[in-house]
Amino acid sequence: MSRGKKISFSKALNEALMESMEMDENVIVIGEDVAKMGGDFGITQGLWHKWPERTKDTPLSEQAIIGLCTSSAVCGLRPVAEIMFADFCGVCYDQIVNNLAKAHFMYNGEATVPVVIRASTGGGIRCAYHHSQCVEPWFMNVPGLVIVAPSTPYEAKGMLNAAIRDDNPVLFLEHKGLYNVKGEVPEEYYEVPLYQSKVKREGTDVTVVATMMMTGMALQAAEELAAEGISVEVIDPLTLFPLEKETIINSVAKTGRLVIAQEGPKFMGAAAEISAMVGEELFEYLKSPVRRVTSEDVPTAYAPVMEDFVMPNKDKIKAAIRKAMED
Amino acid sequence: MLSLETLKQMYAEMFEVREFEENIDVYSKKGEIPGFVHLGVGQEAVQVGTIHALKETDYKYPDHRCHGAIALMSSDKKAVMAEIFGKATGINGGRGGSMHITDLKVRNMGNNGIQGSNVVSALGPAFYSQLKGNDDVTAVYMGDGTLGEGACHESINLAATWKLPVIYVLANNQYAIATHYSEAYNVEQLAQWADGYGVPNEVVDGNDVIAVYDAMTRAVERARKGEGPTVLELMTYRWQGHFAGDPAAYRPDEEVEYWKGRCPIKKLKGQLIEQGVTEEEITAMEDKVKAEIAELIDYARKSPLPKAEDAMKHVYCNREVEVHNV
Repeated sequence: MSRGKKISFSKALNEALMESMEMDENVIVIGEDVAKMGGDFGITQGLWHKWPERTKDTPLSEQAIIGLCTSSAVCGLRPVAEIMFADFCGVCYDQIVNNLAKAHFMYNGEATVPVVIRASTGGGIRCAYHHSQCVEPWFMNVPGLVIVAPSTPYEAKGMLNAAIRDDNPVLFLEHKGLYNVKGEVPEEYYEVPLYQSKVKREGTDVTVVATMMMTGMALQAAEELAAEGISVEVIDPLTLFPLEKETIINSVAKTGRLVIAQEGPKFMGAAAEISAMVGEELFEYLKSPVRRVTSEDVPTAYAPVMEDFVMPNKDKIKAAIRKAMED
Repeated sequence: MLSLETLKQMYAEMFEVREFEENIDVYSKKGEIPGFVHLGVGQEAVQVGTIHALKETDYKYPDHRCHGAIALMSSDKKAVMAEIFGKATGINGGRGGSMHITDLKVRNMGNNGIQGSNVVSALGPAFYSQLKGNDDVTAVYMGDGTLGEGACHESINLAATWKLPVIYVLANNQYAIATHYSEAYNVEQLAQWADGYGVPNEVVDGNDVIAVYDAMTRAVERARKGEGPTVLELMTYRWQGHFAGDPAAYRPDEEVEYWKGRCPIKKLKGQLIEQGVTEEEITAMEDKVKAEIAELIDYARKSPLPKAEDAMKHVYCNREVEVHNV
């Protein structure tokens, strides 16, 4: 049902948490300053007032947060952890990679670990390299984890609800640049299914696969290039791992050209994997080499002029699309 | 005061733990057990004394040097042995082995291959008990080496602050592989660290099963009453190297001999004889255990190997993972 106004990506996330906690008394929210303060980005506002026993502020102890979530999930809870900045996942990497991701396997399928780790990710906030990284490649090589990255308020709410209901551990990446983006979001509870890539714009000449901030830029690039007579199809995987490949394969089989836009560094990013996959499965369909639009392979610098130089943007996506059309 | 019957039972169990470990040692060296195994010979009182103070619904996180204890608490000893042999009949279908044995029926939440990792895991069930208002406590087993991991401190601090029912069972067997604890920590006793977190702690003779049981009972009672965690430092010694086959050349022979002289099983045997139990009765208990372990070994050895393609199972719940290279 429409509410007659658009709401922000952050508000959409907050609604998902509210509804999920309301629906299921086994959902808990835990993290640093998530309770009284309502989260560093305000995503958990209001939860503590309604459910003080299920909304827990912790010391600065990311390992304890994830350890507690993993093993209380085995007991029957559905914990939602907030890692304030995805960069801090480095502090609890062991818990995520060695325990959370492998728990279902370790228990021989007899236990599930429905844990969601929400983490704010990505650059552009002028806070340098400990608060700006896109961490998904740190985890894409870890079977057992699900990595989700919505790019609209509608997906934010629906995918967070779906992630909380899913019995697998989900790393839920929220790009900080999207928090204030507004969009249509139903008032009632709904889910947007995980494990499905989504065609966000149909086109016939070039396929662009993009995630998070890159999706909006790719859509804008597509709009502008339409005026030049280039028809661009834009796909957002939404669940980066395990990746639903068919949507991408079908699109590239149709267009014969692929540009992949990712915010993080180039080497070994998601774009590398998608590129390899297309190379393996669609070699004979390709009319031009696969191109990747990414950050440079450097840490994110603080000075805006330096950060902007390193980051991918709409113009870089447009340039890559044009090049693909020239081959 | 423990009854004579309980003491006899504890004796049989300590003997079982040792027999279990020594058999694993034999079959590991024969090459029938894949990978490496960490043996707890010499530490039987720690395992038996603590388990006796717990109930079945309490949550247990054993460590990598706890095979015997895992078998003792288990719902199926044969399946535990078969797991160590990497067989299809293993309690985890052969996907975990010696360091990853779980048994949810008796709330063995699993041991772990990474030191400190399980020490934060203990927070989960403890928080669950507190949230749901039941009195199940969580015991997590660790060694002197484990305490060096930062995760331990996050765990003890959070458990202390939230008054979570966790018992940190720290078996100080004195060596983290080759490094003596005096070379790794700037305190006389590791339990002292707990003072910094406002957590009650005790240093106990870990080779005295009755002392271990008593200390564990006090800790469990505090936890059940909602008074929060306890750190128990149980002083003991591992007779063998870090893993089966490690000659442990880093330890002085006199030290090893001294600790073998303080054998926890021999100690309890002396106490049983003082209370009138006969040598014959003790030998009969030992023979019964030996026969039982021989059966476990036989079962494990004769069990079939897992199906190779089962390696693809249980990565995700309700989702298959495709085989890339057929």
